[in-house]
Amino acid sequence: MSGSAQPAGGLQRILRAALPVLLLIVLACVPAANLGANFTKVLFLTFLAVSASVAWNILGGFAGQASFGFAVFYGLGAYTTAVGMNAGLGPYLTYLIAAVLAAVASLLIGLPTFRLRGPYFAIATIGVSEAVRVIMTNLQFTGGASGCRITERVPFRQADHYYTGLALAAIAVCISMLVRNSRFGLALRAIHDDQDAASDSGVNPYLHKIAAHAIAAAITGATGGVYARYSAFISPDGVFAFQRSVAIVLMPIIGGVNTIWGPVAGGGVYGVIEEELTARFPEFHLLLYGMLLILIILFEPGGLLGLLVRLRRLARRWRAA
Amino acid sequence: MISLLSSSPRALLVAVIAASPLLWPLPAKAQSDIPVGVIMPITGREARPGQYQREGIELAIKQINDGGGIFVKSLNKKLPIREVFYDDGSDQARSASLAERAMSSDNVVAVIGGYSTVLGEAESVMADRYQTPWITPGSAASSIFSKGYQYTFGTLSSVENLGYTTGQFLGWLVDQGKLKKGLKIALAVENTDHGVDYVNGIQKWIGEHAGYFTIVLNEKFELGGTDFSGLLQKIKTAHADIFLSDAHLQDYVTMQRQYLQAGMYHQMISYGARGPEADARKALGPGIDYIFAGIWWSKDLGYAQVKKFNTDYTAAYNRPPDSWYAATAYDAMRTLAQSIEKAGSLKKDTIRDQLRSGELRGSLLPGQTLKFGKTGQVANAFVIVQNKPDGKIDIVFPSDAATGPAIAPKPQN
Amino acid sequence: MTAVDYLNLLIAALLLAGTYAAMAVGMTVIYGVMKIVNLAHAGFLMLGAYFVYEVHERAGWPPLVGVALAFPAFFAFGLLIHWLLGRGIPVSDEPTLASLMLMFGLWLALQNLGYLVWGTSDRSILTPMTFATLRFGEITIPKIGMVVFVSALVSLGALEFILHRTWFGRSIRALIQNRYACRIVGVPVQKTARLTFGLGVAFSGAAGGLLGMLYPFSPDFGRPFLLRSFVIIVLGGLESFSGVFLGALILALTETFSILFIPTGYQPAISFGLLVVALIVLPGGIAGLLERKRRLA
Repeated sequence: MSGSAQPAGGLQRILRAALPVLLLIVLACVPAANLGANFTKVLFLTFLAVSASVAWNILGGFAGQASFGFAVFYGLGAYTTAVGMNAGLGPYLTYLIAAVLAAVASLLIGLPTFRLRGPYFAIATIGVSEAVRVIMTNLQFTGGASGCRITERVPFRQADHYYTGLALAAIAVCISMLVRNSRFGLALRAIHDDQDAASDSGVNPYLHKIAAHAIAAAITGATGGVYARYSAFISPDGVFAFQRSVAIVLMPIIGGVNTIWGPVAGGGVYGVIEEELTARFPEFHLLLYGMLLILIILFEPGGLLGLLVRLRRLARRWRAA
Repeated sequence: MISLLSSSPRALLVAVIAASPLLWPLPAKAQSDIPVGVIMPITGREARPGQYQREGIELAIKQINDGGGIFVKSLNKKLPIREVFYDDGSDQARSASLAERAMSSDNVVAVIGGYSTVLGEAESVMADRYQTPWITPGSAASSIFSKGYQYTFGTLSSVENLGYTTGQFLGWLVDQGKLKKGLKIALAVENTDHGVDYVNGIQKWIGEHAGYFTIVLNEKFELGGTDFSGLLQKIKTAHADIFLSDAHLQDYVTMQRQYLQAGMYHQMISYGARGPEADARKALGPGIDYIFAGIWWSKDLGYAQVKKFNTDYTAAYNRPPDSWYAATAYDAMRTLAQSIEKAGSLKKDTIRDQLRSGELRGSLLPGQTLKFGKTGQVANAFVIVQNKPDGKIDIVFPSDAATGPAIAPKPQN
Repeated sequence: MTAVDYLNLLIAALLLAGTYAAMAVGMTVIYGVMKIVNLAHAGFLMLGAYFVYEVHERAGWPPLVGVALAFPAFFAFGLLIHWLLGRGIPVSDEPTLASLMLMFGLWLALQNLGYLVWGTSDRSILTPMTFATLRFGEITIPKIGMVVFVSALVSLGALEFILHRTWFGRSIRALIQNRYACRIVGVPVQKTARLTFGLGVAFSGAAGGLLGMLYPFSPDFGRPFLLRSFVIIVLGGLESFSGVFLGALILALTETFSILFIPTGYQPAISFGLLVVALIVLPGGIAGLLERKRRLA
């Protein structure tokens, strides 16, 4: 059956490693190809989706701790950039500060909540995210419910934003790969499989989850910041919305949770669908996500990637027959 | 697991290539029409007013196209308007994204959109970024227009004026002897720029006219809530004489319903720019009698063009225009069309210049002229309407536009 | 603030607590037996409201009749859903992310179906009773609040009856306690789980109908109540029914009286803050705390 598995020859391995790089190069050429501002915008938003998706997966996929409240980091990052830029700081500095702030917030949130298991943790994260949203809606210093506008006195150059988004997504994927292939990632996997057994083996689940949470939060915070600069106007009901937390959870699941490229695929699919669907068939998009989710959970928990693997196996079997 | 990792990049590439035709921009074609972007919520929280505004715009487009379209001097022919419509689902991020899409890949000459402050704020960012004129018939918060942007326009007067006019109206009632002097007002407004502007307007009037009213409660509530019992309890314990709120349609209906269920009473009640909506009447029946509202337009204004608009609208949609929504949108489209014609070309800068300097005579708005001010916002006057029993609505202020007497104080239940 | 004002607030809080308890029970039933956090609860609440609305509009029957009809209707609906999605709804000891997401997907789908069928505008169930108030001197009680409160108590009483006086109820309680022991003893686990799911959905639907009598609703109706159900269940403990009463009472009292001290805008934050604090300090809910005290005593 699987006797037809090809030994990964040197050339094959080089090709496989080269593919992501090739993809990166192709994407980097897009602005020069002048395919239209909307196309660029959709790709940009997709990069942000991929970043957040990959980030979430570090905690939710690798460590198996599903948080339903990642919008809180996204929103904090967005507001950091908004307030920071309005105070005169450069955008890239604010992204860095956003990441740090989000990581600190994740410590505050994680310290008490990681003691909880199962749905209690998920619910707690929702509670935290919503509480922050309500507080931000009332906080006059950041504009309250009216939101915060970033006034940039430099002309808008879409390519700048595009490359920032691409870089962010690439960095996120690299971090994901580093985590996955490291000792830290091994510990996370152990915790995911069986937390008690891992703890017995000498892995401190609490500390590891906190660390994973911080990494994920930092990336998500930076993503929020990049978004804020692009849209130039944010409000609590937008960036802290429950829908945003939901989207961040949805993407890795659709693509294939607990893998490196699954969240990337999920982010890509989500970014494109979201844009096209909301423009053309807005009345169906909830139904689409709902059905997609149901089908994935029922039939292919590995998401799109799992589906691809299954198809590949089927194709191989068909060829061998 | 390893196979997953190695197969995925390839799969990813395939997926990206497969998906790209969806995003491929269409090839350019010869100019055969004038594309105008229209972005309104027709689903979600703001669906009802969004629908009405869409109807107003589309009625104007139809009437213009029935006449052959707009004459564009640079092309020496009349071109019809093509509406590029997007539903933003009352979602602010989507609203901005769709505005961007319309202005960039759809290449519209202008966008009319942005019902409600937050949606308007989000969309307005795109106007200057893509240097496309953007007219909002549904956002009135001055913060949108105070940032020094060049391409934003609005056919609604600022909400601060609304608050001020409300103060004027109440003061006039005192002068008429219908209300006593020194009454207490409880304010509960939506937690947005709209609410803040409203309170500012009222406070400005009260400040200028000492002794008329005092504000005993000034609270903000979150939009889209379902349970206002806490807030209403607070209002109850403030023991005020007049209750003024500023809310969106959905919150107005919910709050008024719970107000009635709590058995409350005030001499005058208003929900800002909401009051006469048919949906409220349907939901609450006689429960909205004697509520007054300060609105940007009423179908009972005595102008000939208003009567014609009412007839055309009713013929097209089988119901009369509801409150003010459709009219400001209708005129937004009309003034845009006039500016395009005056511009003589489809260049967005020139159209913007014409919007800036021109004025629409025979406008539906109070005063019959629509002219954008320096900030891009109009400054037409408001009318105060009051709900009367059996579904009637009267304009009660200013007196020269009034169609019926103002009933104050409200009769006890 | 006078004593009468306080009394009014207290009564309002009590009425609210009754409604909240009925709302949260459907979720508790399902979690207790199957360890599934039913996010689709929001969708069932919404459908319940529309169901009662349609019964009222089409047949002209009073809303309470609609609520009574909602029980069997949603019971059947719950059975159907469990049968369709059964693969993803395991009866397990630990709640799974998969079941969480499955229910969430279901909720999204239900919401969209709601939009397609009924559109986005708000609906209300209006009867002559809707605006009637009972007055006792300076105290005003909305009549409809009273009716809903009593109905909620009646339905909760019915649930208690089912749980403690019927064989089916005994199976449910057994399943909550220990799934494996049930198998040994001969309780049909899968069948009970399915019937329990139906029961939970029935209560969700009926509660939705009751809420629909109080508030206007649209397809997005369920969400704030979903989060409130979380708070109540956590406060009361996900596996105890008396805890639900307690949790509902605490939430209702907190929500109603908190506005006296803080600006109204922050009120939802109080509920969520309460949720997080409760989760951390009382992992088993208040009922769990009491249970532990009782055991130690």
